[in-house]
Amino acid sequence: MENQDDTELIKLAREGDSVAFEELVERNYMFVYKISYKWTGIKEDAEDITQNVFMKLAGSIQTFKESSSFQTWLYRITINSAKDFSKKNARIRKKEMALSDQQNMKEGSTSEENSIAELIQYMITKLPHKLKETALLVFSEGMSHKEAAVVLDCAEKTVSWRVFQVKKKLKKHLESDGVKL
Amino acid sequence: MKEKDIDKILQEIKIPEPDEVVKRATIKASVSEFNRQKESLQKNIKGIDTERRLIGRINLFLNLLGGFAMRKSYVIAGSATAFVAILVVSLTYLSVDLNRTPQPINVPVEQNGTISSGGAAGMHQEAYDYSYSVSQGGGSISYNKSAAPPAPSVKRGIGSSIHSMIAEVPMNHGGSSYSSGGYTEEDLRSYENQETGRDQFDTIDTNPVKQVKEDPVSTFSIDVDTASYAFVRRQINYGVLPQENAVRIEEMINYFDYDYVVPEDRARPFQPTVAVFPTPWNPDSKLLHIGIKGYDIVPEEKPESNLVFLIDVSGSMDDQDKLPLLRNSFRLLVNSLDEEDTVAIVVYAGAAGTVLEPTSVKEKGKILAALDQMQAGGSTAGGEGIQKAYDLAEANFKKDGVNRIILATDGDFNVGIYDDEELKSYIDRKRKSGIFLSVLGFGQGNYNDALMQKLAQNGNGNASYIDNLNEARKVLVEEASSTLFTIARDVKLQVEFNPKLIAEYRLIGYESRMLKREDFNNDKVDAGDIGSGHTVTAIYEIIPVGSKGRLVDDLRYDSKEKEEVGSELSDSEYAFLKIRYKLPDSENSELITTSVNKENEYAQLDQVPTDVRFAASVAAFGQVLRGGTYTDQFTYDDIIELAESTVDNDEFGYRHEFLGLVRLAKAIE
Repeated sequence: MENQDDTELIKLAREGDSVAFEELVERNYMFVYKISYKWTGIKEDAEDITQNVFMKLAGSIQTFKESSSFQTWLYRITINSAKDFSKKNARIRKKEMALSDQQNMKEGSTSEENSIAELIQYMITKLPHKLKETALLVFSEGMSHKEAAVVLDCAEKTVSWRVFQVKKKLKKHLESDGVKL
Repeated sequence: MKEKDIDKILQEIKIPEPDEVVKRATIKASVSEFNRQKESLQKNIKGIDTERRLIGRINLFLNLLGGFAMRKSYVIAGSATAFVAILVVSLTYLSVDLNRTPQPINVPVEQNGTISSGGAAGMHQEAYDYSYSVSQGGGSISYNKSAAPPAPSVKRGIGSSIHSMIAEVPMNHGGSSYSSGGYTEEDLRSYENQETGRDQFDTIDTNPVKQVKEDPVSTFSIDVDTASYAFVRRQINYGVLPQENAVRIEEMINYFDYDYVVPEDRARPFQPTVAVFPTPWNPDSKLLHIGIKGYDIVPEEKPESNLVFLIDVSGSMDDQDKLPLLRNSFRLLVNSLDEEDTVAIVVYAGAAGTVLEPTSVKEKGKILAALDQMQAGGSTAGGEGIQKAYDLAEANFKKDGVNRIILATDGDFNVGIYDDEELKSYIDRKRKSGIFLSVLGFGQGNYNDALMQKLAQNGNGNASYIDNLNEARKVLVEEASSTLFTIARDVKLQVEFNPKLIAEYRLIGYESRMLKREDFNNDKVDAGDIGSGHTVTAIYEIIPVGSKGRLVDDLRYDSKEKEEVGSELSDSEYAFLKIRYKLPDSENSELITTSVNKENEYAQLDQVPTDVRFAASVAAFGQVLRGGTYTDQFTYDDIIELAESTVDNDEFGYRHEFLGLVRLAKAIE
């Protein structure tokens, strides 16, 4: 994903080269989209968030310093955008979610294994933001606690504590649904 | 549950391919935004003359110097408007990320070696590079990082992935997290503290232990603010213990709702609940708990509200936890208002302007649209924020209603009146005209708690700190009636201790609310107001006569015990409580009294009502956070144990959250 060419593109974009910026967006589109999708679980929302991220990037690429990791930076912008997005859309979504929840439950019962996976995914999207962003980076992106702490700009202990909370919550929910892992 | 399972499941989520058309549109939109930004940046930079650029640099430099600098720049706020323009430019056109980037202040850097490990150094270097050259061809505001301490010299390429970057970091502190590269954990702790170094708090000197013989009467004003708890919570959630002066124990205790006796009559707006029980952290003393719940207004009596939102839209408000959160918070409030109520909005940045004339909540859409349109950094037409807000409130004054200005800010009051004292006396004058002021604090790093408190106190209002939408809901919706409808003004408490039973006492918290003994009966002396449904709790730690827990020795030349108290009373009564208050429309105070006697005492801690025990655990937590001068060996674990049995009845989850906070504080420590 992030390679020598990105560095060059960032450098050019910071100097005002819009072609380089375009290339940078193109290259990182999937990266941002995937995280956004994992956050929302809804394709259209993920696309909206992705757009917000790159709009923000357009305004702030000049401030990006080569000394820091572009990827870490992008993670941060994406998570923040995703959080904003969920806040803004919480009310509108409420109704839709209620509907799609029912849908999910129906569809989810096709095979045992599938349903657990879906249940977990669904539970993760329902977590409070702090836990959700931690779960996303640690479980879904496979980061170590330390790596996640860098992205989230908090102490590693905080990450560990949140991971513990996530597991506790998931376990509780799964057990209440009669699933034992 | 195995972590691996979750990993596996989540990493195998099927992600649908994004829509190519949407992707193209996004790329196109962001490129044109990129070009637009580029142009406006150039235009703005050209428009700023050299002198301002210089001032802007100085100001940025001061900001970088942290707490001192902020105070400094506050003092010179009179001239601040001159360079607000430049700050707005820098904060608006630079990245969102900029605002989130930690302050690079005094990070100790070990020179001897390990720093070259790269990864973490890279990360912290990012923090150093607070300065950003905005240069785009013509002219530049470039601010050099020379003001910051020497940054690690290692430059790491962007090329390496985050995984390899982390892999380079030696784990030189075993499992302990935070230490990487050449930083010790302590270094980083101080680094984190520094980040919030510009938050301003008044110094609190913990109330001392008093001897009943010398000083039998304790007098203080009530305090219904809750800002301190929210701020403490935010800090702890952020992974740092709050600075001691940020911890106001009474505000932590009063954050929670307690199930005290609710008075039934508005004419006698509250009824005290008292209890005496063993101190959890001290076997030789007891706690004297006083709880008051304000008369709860019944809906049909709810007066009409005339609200003016005075909103800070200066560049510093551009963080996600500021203006966007604020907007959502006010939205919640507007949705909870009645059709007869009116709302007006005034914003201020470098200048102030009316965004919305007083508008009836019937036209809710119009109010919400005005909220949506507010942008941080947008400059508005001249005038002066706070005066404008008061003018609007006066113009639309509701005689029998609630007239209140709700000020929302991160603490920078470039509202037109620059001098703190002048601002305070202005608000004080306005309060007498019947317009109250509530203050909502947002964000951190620049939070001026001291001033907010003073403003709210002088405006007879409340200061709250909003760190998330849930808190906004609690303050603005759930407690809207208490925040908005004052049921009694100038509420003062006075407790007289019986020297025959009690040797020493100390009041936990309320340091900034202490009054002189003679102030109690003086109706001219201002004190805190109480809103409908508000609860106020005060806790004294008392040391019985003859206890070995006494801290003060008897005087050698003291005359023999005086037996002047009526003997019957003196054997059973610990203390006598007096409460003075004024009804909202009266200038003369009323008095409520009650005695605290052995009937109110519980011999065992587990017999004590859960709410009272919970309050004690919050008091313990606050004291431990403030250094634990009087809590001896009482640990976070003890607090958890004490609180755990009291959180069952917890409708909104606040008490569980408290427990979580104590656990987190323990982990941080």
